[in-house]
Amino acid sequence: MILEIVSIGLIISACLALFLDEMVYSVAALSGTFIFTAILYILNGSVFAAIFQFVVGIGTLAILFLSGEMLGDKPTKKASPKKTLALIGIGIVLSLPAIFLSFSGSSGTTTDASFGDALWNLRGMDVVLQALVVLTVAMGIAIVLYEKRKGGQ
Amino acid sequence: MDFVILSLVMLGIGIYGLLTNRQLLKVFISVELIATAATLNFVMLTSSMGQGLGQAFLILAFSTDTAVSAVILALLVIVSKKYGTSNLSEIIKMQEKSESEAEA
Repeated sequence: MILEIVSIGLIISACLALFLDEMVYSVAALSGTFIFTAILYILNGSVFAAIFQFVVGIGTLAILFLSGEMLGDKPTKKASPKKTLALIGIGIVLSLPAIFLSFSGSSGTTTDASFGDALWNLRGMDVVLQALVVLTVAMGIAIVLYEKRKGGQ
Repeated sequence: MDFVILSLVMLGIGIYGLLTNRQLLKVFISVELIATAATLNFVMLTSSMGQGLGQAFLILAFSTDTAVSAVILALLVIVSKKYGTSNLSEIIKMQEKSESEAEA
């Protein structure tokens, strides 16, 4: 139950961090994302990772607060509570698939699997998706360079 | 509870933000979210295997993430100083204007 609540909080804070107009509130929501991620790590027994997440997150947030104040444009209109509530609702809806669906087949207690087996059997989908992303980025870079060369001639 | 779907949703939110936001700081936050999604997936994989080695390798992921953040932030400061705004649309307009002036 705690895992589900933390997951919902994670997605909601991610949505708020991206789509709130005021920069300071966005950074505050991003800090929520980092905190919820660290709590997820602790609940899964990865305390070491959680500590690193906290440390890296605090550094990033300090810099973001400063740069957000210095560089961020001031919003022309005040943030409406309706938009915030809508973002929270979207966050809850987006977190539902993670709670109710499953395509890895287990919530993960395969202690006797080797790294290769676990990577392919439990996370095969991720590996394929990441390969697609890398391929798309590579093709994008190639197209941009080709267009640049063509424009230069 | 499936952490693959959770990290995929996070990745989707980050990519959507990267494509739709015009503020450079929001773009930076989107990159942070994408990096967090990737790290989350990696940690959940290693914790499901019950091995501590993956957590040690995680330091590499975090240091890479921090280096990327530093470079993005440096670029952001340079661009903001040069153009006086952190809005991507305005920066592109100014760039096109200066290019057309240079051609003429």
